[in-house]
Amino acid sequence: MRLLLVSILFFSICVAAQNQAILFDQSYLMLHNMLDNKEPYSFKKAVLSTENAYLDGGLDTIEVNKKLKLLHSVSLILLEYRDIQYAEKDKETIHKFASVFQVMHDSINIKINGTLYRHLPYQYDFSDVFGHDNPENLFVSKLLATRKGNCHSLPYLYKIIAEDLGVEANLALAPNHIYIKHKSLLDGWYNTELTSGIFPVDAWLMASGYMHIDAVTNGVYMKALDKKESIALLMIDLAEYYNHRLPDNDGKFVLQCCDAALSAYPHFAKALILKAETHKKQVDKSEDTAQRDAAYKDLAKEYSLIHALGYRNMPESMYLNWLLSLKEQRTKYENKKL
Amino acid sequence: MLAQVNPILPSAPVPSMHVLYPSANLPILDSKTQQQQQFAEINWEVAQFEKLRTQTSCNIPQDINSTSNIRYTLPFNGSDGANIYKEAYNKLRNMNAGNYCVADVIFDIENAYFDNRQDKREFTLYIEKAAQFLTDKMNELDYDPESNVAKNLLLFQFFAEPLQLKAAKQKHLPFKYDFDDYMGVKDYSKMFVTKLMATGAGQCHSLPLLYLILAEKIGAEAYLAFSPNHSYIKFPDEKKKWYNIELTNGMFTTPAFILNSGYIKAEALQSQIYMKSLNKRELLSQFYVDLAGGYVHKFGYDDFAKQIIDSALELYPDNINAQMMKATYYNRLFEFVASQLGINPFDKADLQRIKGNPRAVAILAEVNKQYQTIDELGYEKMPFEAYEEWLKSVTDEKNKQENEKFKQQFKGSITRSVRN
Repeated sequence: MRLLLVSILFFSICVAAQNQAILFDQSYLMLHNMLDNKEPYSFKKAVLSTENAYLDGGLDTIEVNKKLKLLHSVSLILLEYRDIQYAEKDKETIHKFASVFQVMHDSINIKINGTLYRHLPYQYDFSDVFGHDNPENLFVSKLLATRKGNCHSLPYLYKIIAEDLGVEANLALAPNHIYIKHKSLLDGWYNTELTSGIFPVDAWLMASGYMHIDAVTNGVYMKALDKKESIALLMIDLAEYYNHRLPDNDGKFVLQCCDAALSAYPHFAKALILKAETHKKQVDKSEDTAQRDAAYKDLAKEYSLIHALGYRNMPESMYLNWLLSLKEQRTKYENKKL
Repeated sequence: MLAQVNPILPSAPVPSMHVLYPSANLPILDSKTQQQQQFAEINWEVAQFEKLRTQTSCNIPQDINSTSNIRYTLPFNGSDGANIYKEAYNKLRNMNAGNYCVADVIFDIENAYFDNRQDKREFTLYIEKAAQFLTDKMNELDYDPESNVAKNLLLFQFFAEPLQLKAAKQKHLPFKYDFDDYMGVKDYSKMFVTKLMATGAGQCHSLPLLYLILAEKIGAEAYLAFSPNHSYIKFPDEKKKWYNIELTNGMFTTPAFILNSGYIKAEALQSQIYMKSLNKRELLSQFYVDLAGGYVHKFGYDDFAKQIIDSALELYPDNINAQMMKATYYNRLFEFVASQLGINPFDKADLQRIKGNPRAVAILAEVNKQYQTIDELGYEKMPFEAYEEWLKSVTDEKNKQENEKFKQQFKGSITRSVRN
């Protein structure tokens, strides 16, 4: 009897794990199809599918979509009623960028049918900024529910609202960090930093101290990522959520994600590192010492490529200091043209 | 109807001014990004333009559609001196871009500016004496003559520190930075190596060039690199690790210092217009820019200036200084054409009137295309006040410490005894 219970329990865990794997597979397929142009690109859909896979199908899509729709409406209202001082030909686009930024960053009072509604800005959440304790802290759905986010969820949400308005917002990477790049006729490329709501100049990002100049030259960092490269970011998110959910996996799914991400964005450091680390895990498990030594040599090659591209590991403890330096040295690093 | 006009076109310092017209509502026009930052310069340009206009105003045809006498090329203002530039240009053209003598090229460029009146023997003698001094000092210090780091460190010391040869009691004092007119606006020859040789003081153009000349002479591997409004030296060690030398202050600097100028966009690094060690071809391209700079300073922009700039871009299409000069050339050309048509290019409403003239429209399209190219390379204009402030910041405590660190690091590894 006890044996039966145990086996039923065991069996049900297996089924749960299998179900979960199915959701991850589905999300992978969707992202992959977007990369292959087999499915229309939608950053929003792609993000939500990765979160849903992690949440084991538990994402309340109705609620999330309702909130996103509301944000879209607020940004439309801002577009209609708030003007910007900008005289170039791309004013319409820049106006949209501005309204997305306001939706994210400002308190907005809106009167509808005599009732005053107050839209509150999104804030930076200093706890678990890398999602180590709980990857859900990185989620857009969490940001929507709690109005608090980090350098993962804030730029993602920004990009989603922007794309709902029909304009592109390019994600860009820095060590341990994601921010937004826009191009205007007036100033060329400029940066939008959502964690502090400041527009910093490139020198601030480069001054993090962990950005080797080669990494910038090679597009590892500070490159305005196109649509496919953005999906590549989500591929790696998906792989990391998978590792979190199924820590004892054989690495196959993760490697598959890495390869897909790298085909779209070959110099994507995070994908290269995850790939190398997954290989290492696989090699560590191997019993055959001769085979293992050979594999370690290949691994060394992988890591040296990552190094050659200019990637350097930024200790996570340094990250918050750097992030705060923008506010502390605002005069030095703020883009005064904006 | 329209008499021959011969306006004196203002010559710009190199890197040249970035001037823009207000964006007109013509289909081909594009407003440009640096526009708003440059009111001061535009005002200057407007003043120049007004001068030009008064010169030509008596000749403005009433009907701008009668364009038969309009000239669409910039007038040639050269004298005999221009022929000397042509000779110098042809000499560069006949050179093997992968293998040439840096010292000879630099001498020819500067000599053209002085109407070929410079003494080559004196120039050569200076280099030979300096090279002999360096070789002797190398032996005295027991530096490894095979080590590129050793040779560059000694060159660095030659520029930055007082050096004395014990045996010969010869002394060499460090070069100084000459703050006065460092862009050579008033006196273009302020940027010349010959001026540096004569006075012991130079700036960010002449100091790195003299470094390259001496490096060539003693067989050290060193390269020129750009940053906004600036050039400096890079050299590799045996392991291909790169080091930066800031000669205006005689210090080793980190990439962070250079990036901290604040005017290097990520796109500028991705297109490699800055911080890249120039190979021989790319360096030759920059020598064309120097040649064009001297020519333009003397005679203004014209077709020949454009020809020199085109040769520079042939060798190194992303040479930002050449691209900037090309932009200025089109600016001048458009202003010249506009002035003949009696149109003020800085007045948005007035500018619309060029619509009737397809050739003028085409030139304006070139202006805009050129600024787009520059924007796409990631160029951002660095104001000269910001440049001066940045250059001074090299002596900040942090940079001084980095400099000392580099020096210590080198000193331990370059003597012969260490190697053997």
